[in-house]
Formats: sequence, C-alpha cells, structure tokens
Amino acid sequence: MVGPGGASSPVSSAGDRALARLRAVGADSRAELASIKERTGLMAVGYFDSYLPEELIMAHGLIPYRAIVEGREDVRSMEYIQGYACPAARDLLDQALRGDLDLLDGALFSRYCDSLRGVYAVWDSEKLTPYVDFVRYPTVVNTGGAVAYLAKEFQEVSARMAAALDAPADGRRLLESIAACNRKRALVAELAARRASRELALSGADYLAVLVAATTMLPDEFTTELAALLAHPPAGEPGDAVPVVLSGVTFDNVALAATMEAAGLYFIADDLSTGSRWYGVRVETSTLAGGEGSGAYGDPWEALAHAYLTRPPCSVKEPSSPRADHLVAQVRRSGARGVVFYLTRYCDSEQVEWPFIRDRLAEEGIPALMVEGEHKRGGAGPLATRLEAFREQLEQIGEER
Amino acid sequence: MTAVGTDGAAGAGTTGVGTAAAGAVAAGPPAGGGAATRGAKAPRLEATGSLKALIKDYYDDLFKAAAEGRPTAWLNVGVPCEFFYAMDVFPFYPENYGAACGAMKLTPKLSAVAEAKGFSADLCSYIRTTLGTIFSGEGPYGQLPRPTVQVSSMNSCIAIMVWWRAVERHWGVPTFVLDTPLVRETSEGINLDYVESELHRMIAWVEEQTGRPLDQERLREVVRLSNEGKELWAEVLDLRRAHPCPITAADIFTHMFPMVALRGTPRFVEHLRALRDEVKQRVDEGFAAVPGERYRLLWDNLPPWFDLRLFGELAEKGVNFVIDTYTQAWGPRYMGPIDVDDPLRSLAGYMGAGFLNVQIGRRYDLLAELVDLYDVDGVVFHSDRSCKPFSLVQVELRKLLQERKGVPGLLLEGDHNDPNLFDRERAWGQLESFIEVVDSHKQG
Repeated sequence: MVGPGGASSPVSSAGDRALARLRAVGADSRAELASIKERTGLMAVGYFDSYLPEELIMAHGLIPYRAIVEGREDVRSMEYIQGYACPAARDLLDQALRGDLDLLDGALFSRYCDSLRGVYAVWDSEKLTPYVDFVRYPTVVNTGGAVAYLAKEFQEVSARMAAALDAPADGRRLLESIAACNRKRALVAELAARRASRELALSGADYLAVLVAATTMLPDEFTTELAALLAHPPAGEPGDAVPVVLSGVTFDNVALAATMEAAGLYFIADDLSTGSRWYGVRVETSTLAGGEGSGAYGDPWEALAHAYLTRPPCSVKEPSSPRADHLVAQVRRSGARGVVFYLTRYCDSEQVEWPFIRDRLAEEGIPALMVEGEHKRGGAGPLATRLEAFREQLEQIGEER
Repeated sequence: MTAVGTDGAAGAGTTGVGTAAAGAVAAGPPAGGGAATRGAKAPRLEATGSLKALIKDYYDDLFKAAAEGRPTAWLNVGVPCEFFYAMDVFPFYPENYGAACGAMKLTPKLSAVAEAKGFSADLCSYIRTTLGTIFSGEGPYGQLPRPTVQVSSMNSCIAIMVWWRAVERHWGVPTFVLDTPLVRETSEGINLDYVESELHRMIAWVEEQTGRPLDQERLREVVRLSNEGKELWAEVLDLRRAHPCPITAADIFTHMFPMVALRGTPRFVEHLRALRDEVKQRVDEGFAAVPGERYRLLWDNLPPWFDLRLFGELAEKGVNFVIDTYTQAWGPRYMGPIDVDDPLRSLAGYMGAGFLNVQIGRRYDLLAELVDLYDVDGVVFHSDRSCKPFSLVQVELRKLLQERKGVPGLLLEGDHNDPNLFDRERAWGQLESFIEVVDSHKQG
C-alpha cells in the first residue's frame, strides 16, 4: 500500500522542483540555515516552540530558526538534565551540546512546558548561545489583559535583543515581517486544505518537510517555492491508503510519517502545534500603519500578541478545550477515518489531555489510536504492527458502514 | 463512603505529613541537652501531637462546609488561602491531601484507578493519587466533597493546571486559572501589574461563582494573622541554624500543613507560636534533634512522603538535614509579610516571583545562602520524578554549587508520593557513599 505523492516522483515540473527544494530543506534544515547566513551575513536566533513569533526576531533584521526535534540517539543532555524531562526538549539540548546549533547567535525561550523551562535553565547557565533570553509568556490565552501584557513583554524582549545583538528593531520591518509571515502561513494553510480535500496529493512525510521548511527558509523564498508547488502540484494519486489525522505537539518525525504510510495510513491532516495549530495564526493588519480596516489593534505588537494567543491552543494553555474542537474539525474537513494521537512521553499536559481527547473522539464516533513515543527515528517495528492493526480496524469499520 | 488507610478515623494523623513524621522521630528516650549519644532517638515535638487535632478539625470543617452547602474551593499551594478565608470560602489543597495519601502509602492503589482510566503512570503522583480518589471514592476520608470552585495558579507547574482540568471535566467544577508568567528573578513592572490584575480577575470570578463578596476589613484581619504566623515560621526556620540543630527535616515537613492551608486563621498563629516556643526552648537548652549531630546536610525538593523514616535512619549516622529548600517557599525570602494596606499588590509580588516561578539564578542564590547560613556540609538533591520544575534544574545546580562553593551534592532519584519510583536499597547505598564523601570533605 502506497501513500500519495511518493518520494520517487521524477523532478520534471516547476512543482516537482519546488518540492525537491522543500524536501531538501526539510531533510537538513541546519544546512539551509548555514546557507542563509552565508548569503545574507545576518545573525540567527533559534526558538523552540511555536508560540514564539518569528516576526519578533525578524523585526531586528535577524534570521528566526525553529530548531526541529531530530530524534537522534544521544545521551549528552543526561549530564545536565534528568531522563524524565520531555524527550523533545532533551533532543534540543543534545543538539546544542553536540555543537549542532553553533550557527545560532541567540536563543529565545518561553515557558511552553516545564521540561523546556529546564532546558532553558541549562542553556542560560551554560551559555550555549551567545545571547539567551526568555519571554514571560502568558498561559491564559483568552483575556484582553493577556494580550496587552504580552504585547508589552514582546517590546521588552525586543529591547534586550536589540542591545544584546546590536540589532535594533525597526517598525517598518516589523510590519513587513508580519505581512511576510502571514503570506507564508496562508499558503501552508492552502496546501493543507488542498491535501485535505484530496485535490493535491502530497505524502505526510513531504507535508512535514514543508512545515520544517516554512520555519527555516527566508519567508519570501519559501513562499515562492510553495506557490510553485501549489500552482503545479506533482502528479500522484491518493491510492487506497486510509486517511487519518495526526495529533500531538511538536512533531518533526518524517520517519514516523513514513512508517504510518508504509502501514497503509495516509496522514491527510494534522492537529500539531507546529502544523495546523500554527499555520492558522493570522495577524490582523487592516488597522496597522494607519489602516482603517476592521481589526481591533492599531499597534503591531498587540496585533501580534492577539494572533498568537488566539490560535488553536496547545494543552499547555488555558483554556485548552478548543483544541478538541479543532481536532474534530480537522477530521470532518478532511474526511479522515481516524486519529493517530502521538503522545510525547513525560508530557504532563498531553498525558492529561489524552483520556479526554479519546472520550471526545469516541462521542463523535471517530476511532483513535494513541502512540506513546520519544520522537526517535528508529525502532518502528512494534509501532508499525500497531499502525497496521489500526488500519485494518478502520477498514473493517468502513466496510461495516 | 469508603475509607482506607492505616490511621483509622478521618483526620487522625494525616496530611500524611503528620503520620509518617511521627514514625521518623518516634518517641525514644528523652535526650535533654546536646550530649546524648549518637544513635539515640530524640523525642518528637509536642507540637506534632497537637497537629493531629488541627488536621482533624480542618477536615471536619471541610466536610461540614460541603454538607451545609457553604462554598469550598480547591486551590494549589501557589494560590493564597488568605483571600478565601476572607470570603468565607473554605480552601482545600489537594497537594496536601496527596501528601497525606503518600504518607499512608495509598498512592499505588489510587494511582492504579487513575491509570485504568487512561492516565499515564508517568504523570505526577499527586495527580494520580487524587484522581484515584475522585474516580473511586476511596481514600483516607472516603470520597472528597466536590468543590464549589477550583482555582489554580501557574507559579508552580503546568501539571497543576491540567490536574484541575481533569477534575473540572470529571465533576464539572467551575475552574479558574490565575496566570503568573514565569519570571527570571523577580516580578516587577508589567509582570507585577499583570499578576495583580489577575488577582482582581480571580476575586471577581470567585465572588460571582460563590456569591461571597470579599470583605476588605476581613481581609486585613486575615492578612494580619497570616503575617503573624509567617513571622513565627521564619523564626522556626532561623532557629534551625543552631548547633546542634533543634529539629529534624521530618519535623519541619510535618508542619507544612498549617503553612499551606491555615494561614490567616487564629489557630494558625496559635500553632506556630507553640511550635516556635518549643523549638526555641530546645535551642536554649542545647537540645540535639540528632544526638551527636555530625553532618549538617541540606535537602532539596519535596521529601518522599511515604518514607520519612529515611531521615530517622540517617540520624543514626549523625546526619541531620538542618535546612531544606521546600519549606523556604513559605519562608521570608519568598513569602514575606503582606502589606495590610495593599494586600493585592503585595501578594502579586510574592506569587509572581514564587519559589518555583523563578529561574536557576535565584534558585542557586538561595542554595548558596542557605549553605552559608546553616553551615551545610553537603546537599542531597531529591530528583523527584513528580515535580519537574523543582527537579529539572538540579543537575546544573549541583554542578554550580560544587564549582563555586566546593559543596558536594548527591542526586537521589525518587518521587514524593510513589514508592514504586523509589529504589530504597539503591538510595541507601548512595546516601552511605555520599556521607563518606561529606566526611572526607569535612576533614580535607
């Protein structure tokens, strides 16, 4: 059983060429970062959770880089943090300790979760990048007070970043960054919608590569490539793989997506913090820079804060209940026949969220499989068996209906 | 209701803290003066005995309030109970309840109930324990009364918020999250303004949910009592600096209960005064809680509530944990006097820069200060699987303390509530080796 948009498609059209480029970035995002640094001479600031706005970094003429979870076997971080820290957070620390993130001139953290705050503590103490900073991010996302506070916090962080890296923020650049990021997220949303409607066949692994490329490439370059892909979608048929939605937090594991597809499951849509819960961020710009649109904010920092706080929430935010609605919507919109919930080991919030997500999906008549993992690339054998069994279950349900 | 446990009547010897501590410092031969032979057990504090009645009264009051339809609130320890006493909304702390179950070794059984519902065995053991009770109705007091409201704050951990979320979804309890963004060292400027605004938002919400307005005059009185008791607590902590130290770690952990749940009440002040007087008397008499005290250690993190005996057994080797970081969270460095004239602003500052809401720099500064003040020979970092914010900086803290102050540290793997996550034999071996290191360090 083969998923759509197989990796062996010949590179023949503009769309194929764009896909090849996006795949290459997805496969080695650090190489792309190195290339950007060399081409532009700009400094780079890394970040690790999708609630941190790239626009804040770009406003300073700096390159934002979301470090992806690589899933390599390593134990370096264990000399600095306990093994029951989130494996994705430890993975980032491993990368830094290996020197793989030496390209970064700075790193920006927030308290996404308690493991990531632990990684921040080590990072700051060991000065793993020349500049390290922390955004005092709200957890409660549905109050006006949180928006006003976060907008001010962004400005305070911006002032420190400017001083530390001798890179002042520029108001016009902030607006341009907001516009550029809006454009690229809108295009990713279009890609996702066309995948979900089966208008465009692109494998789950390729989709993940696009998500990684989206937060690695310069926005305009990414937008150009993705626009080419959308204009000239590669040939491919959905095949007979069973469509499912992949749910979780950060998820960069191309190998797991490939394992799912090998098991006959087509990851047609997602509910990931780095996927649909991120690309839905749209900063309202109609009232910025003297505009007279219908937006609520005239100040770009407030517009930015509002956009990030009102995205479909992760389970580390309050309230989190819209997340389940978002997941169900992804299933309905895409016609997926089930959900694969990737539970990151030691993730407190997802561990509590899962039983309720499970029950909610059951109420909606949506079968779900929970897979607990540590984001590792290897060892997919037992998992493949479970995924195959889930596919058979979904096929059987389909036949009974 | 189904009551399980080892202490019989509800309230007797609980918060767990009481029960296990009593075991750790079980009555032995009186050891007046500091010249007692090492290995002899010191008598327990009389205040520990009166604590049992205090706890029983507290739980009786909780059940009575619920039975009479008066509002009750589940709070985490980062939420000040002062407001709730001032609003006549009975404050209940599930963390405290979790510790009680831990001390009674009920966690494995209750956790199994939660795990059967799909909650991971990797989750915080307080969460598993409490959910086990509300799903099954089992526990030392049987089923806990469903609260009128729940309030959690973000100044300890994410796990608290999702714990309350699980209760909210199970019981349908209206729930409020009070935002306190993590800070580096202090809460000031826009952060302090934000936390204060969150307190205003919380008060308005609780008033609306319970119909109990916050009486400002009543709040002033509660704050006055809270300040008085906290000052006594600060004195108790300070008295531990004495050589020999007048109390043990088990003693102080036992007395956490009133600090958490009773601040702002007359019985809080009465109890703390009795405790302070007794500890002071011990210091005046040169009393050694660990006869022949030889090693003065610092305990970092929560204790293993199910095994406070550990401290008693280490005492036989001349070890006393003369100070700890956990009880500092209620000490003057993190929870000083509340401004009676502006309690919200004042409490916002304490909440915003609460013990677990600050970063590694301040955690290190505290350790370094305590090491000096209490003449600490070594630090045991209890790597508590169930408390990530407390634990996940410990490896780095140990390194910094060794580098900067030359103080040895041991990372001891365990858990505050789940004995299945604590390999006692291995831990004991590590502790014995560590004592040798400390000994050699002292002599070197």
